[in-house]
Amino acid sequence: MIVVFKPGAPENEKAKIKNMLIKANFQINEIVGQNLTIYGVIGDTSSYDPRTISVNAWVDKVMRVQEPYKLANRLFHPENSIINVKDVQIGGKRLVIMAGPCSVETQTQINTVAKAVKESGAAILRGGAFKPRTSPYSFQGLKEKGLEMLVKAGRKNKLPVVTEIMSADKVEEFAACVDLIQVGARNMQNYELLKALGKTKVPVLLKRGLSATIEEWLMSAEYIMSSGNKNVVLCERGIRTFETYTRNTLDLSAVSAIKKLSHLPIIVDPSHAAGMWWMVEPLAKAAIAAGADGLMIEVHNDPANAWCDGAQSLKPERFATLLEQLRALAPLVGREL
Amino acid sequence: MIIVMKPGTPVKESNRLKKELEKQGVSIDMSRGANYCILGVVGDTSGLDPDQIRVNEWVEKVVRVTEPYKCANKVLHSGPDVIEVSGVPVGGKKLTVIAGPCSVETAKQVNQVAAIVKQNGAQMLRGSAFKSRNFPYAFQGLRDNALEMLYEAAKKNHLPLVTEIISVEKIAEFVEHVDLIQVGARSMGNVELLKELGKTNVPILLKRGPSATVEEWLLAAEYIMSRGNEKVILCERGIRTFETYTRNTLDLSAILAVKKLSQLPVLVDPSRATGIWWMVADMTKAAIMAGADGVMLDVHNDPENAWSDGVQSLNPQHFAQLMQELKGFAKLAGREI
Repeated sequence: MIVVFKPGAPENEKAKIKNMLIKANFQINEIVGQNLTIYGVIGDTSSYDPRTISVNAWVDKVMRVQEPYKLANRLFHPENSIINVKDVQIGGKRLVIMAGPCSVETQTQINTVAKAVKESGAAILRGGAFKPRTSPYSFQGLKEKGLEMLVKAGRKNKLPVVTEIMSADKVEEFAACVDLIQVGARNMQNYELLKALGKTKVPVLLKRGLSATIEEWLMSAEYIMSSGNKNVVLCERGIRTFETYTRNTLDLSAVSAIKKLSHLPIIVDPSHAAGMWWMVEPLAKAAIAAGADGLMIEVHNDPANAWCDGAQSLKPERFATLLEQLRALAPLVGREL
Repeated sequence: MIIVMKPGTPVKESNRLKKELEKQGVSIDMSRGANYCILGVVGDTSGLDPDQIRVNEWVEKVVRVTEPYKCANKVLHSGPDVIEVSGVPVGGKKLTVIAGPCSVETAKQVNQVAAIVKQNGAQMLRGSAFKSRNFPYAFQGLRDNALEMLYEAAKKNHLPLVTEIISVEKIAEFVEHVDLIQVGARSMGNVELLKELGKTNVPILLKRGPSATVEEWLLAAEYIMSRGNEKVILCERGIRTFETYTRNTLDLSAILAVKKLSQLPVLVDPSRATGIWWMVADMTKAAIMAGADGVMLDVHNDPENAWSDGVQSLNPQHFAQLMQELKGFAKLAGREI
């Protein structure tokens, strides 16, 4: 961390800051220039709040050198993390495809889709039971009933299941039956939920918030990890920009950035990013080419009559074709499918 | 175009608006509901200004149904355009690779880089003589001197030349010597420049403005095309978002949007989009898989000592390696390189 004082900062004020930092177990490297004094703060500053110093009227600015996250940081964990979701490994050589309907509608529907995506080569079944919809009047999901149907379809087709949790009071129930618990984009900064999930051992799929920087996203992962659960998988799903042609703007450079900054696996959700089914295939291929560890794709047996987000869902046949194409692409990025 | 009248609009007022619009050569389909009266405008609405209609105090909102651009609209063209740049087709089966230094430094440097990129399969040489830098004290380009160097290097290495124009006065000279005139992101909204370029017959590479929607970008193309120059090639180079880890955010879904809306070829500039050299290779592969017609890459013989943007430039080894790797990706994307 670097502390820059305002020109003419009195010695006693500088000493105050120095003592504070020394008390917090840091070493100070003092650089005195003609106009400015700068402190180089040496030590692990990841858990130190820079604002405790910048509040001093003589401090011009405080700059972090070290990233504020530790457990999610590649610096302290150079090897890629591999997260086990039952017998499926995320972050290894094999690409992981999660697929299923946006929301669970009936037992027959989820069974049909599960069987179809399994046959095409999906490794994990997705399906929403609790839905955080933008409009309070939209279908909110079948809730507990939907969860039960999803788990049943997963067991029957030997697919681990991933589904979204919306509140901390459901953690126990989810931990008992869900193989990969998804934290949706809107809950990325629901810290109470993150902490509660951190106390379980169940892998967590952490989606990027709609307007979260990469650093904020990794800080959310840190919340889960620092509470004891190291099994975090990240998921890029598009960010909010001025462009309205697509639902969100898929940020594939985030995949490169995460791979550099963190050891956690990262997958991409082109369905939510684009919001249009015809963009899903090319964006899925682009995501794999960019180095993603897998994908989450919405598949529905009858998109025209889907209860939610049919516009961004692929039909099972299209999904099967896409997976064929991805199988050809995988070796080019040193992966397999 | 659809016009929604405010609830309680007197019949007399909606009829009056109907008559006014009909005078402008369109026909009106009026539907009256319990609360709202809606006017459907049928015919060529490209000459109508929605803002002018919004001036009417009884109008609640005006929604365009068709795109406001015509020349750049796919609907009015039979297929995708292939634009010839001095013998190099852009937008056909073969991917276009434009490469060269960010800015021209010496005749020797640009010659060296031109030879390297040519040898590795680039079809056009890029290089900037006039730089639009954010920082007024940064190197602004060698200007006229650099143009001479570029003309020579391009000629010597049999590569068509791409370079950026930043003012109308230079058009005559550029028309004579430059094969593909680039309009930079910051100039996308310089409509006087666009109009003048529209009077020439030289292909134009139109970069997307840092905060331009896809529609605004296509309208900029329309400025050029509607004046008579239909040879426009688009180039996505990242948009401004809240994320600061990368210089800009590469928007690959824009390629898909452009391909859907327009017949114009679209290239991607991953160097400028990310601003980080180690992201360039992966983002290039992703762009090709997303369906781009080619890429524009910064290549420098000695990035560490480059006079501008060395941090986003590939060195010759990295460029050669990327060109090799792209072969496989091109094939999967149904293209050649």
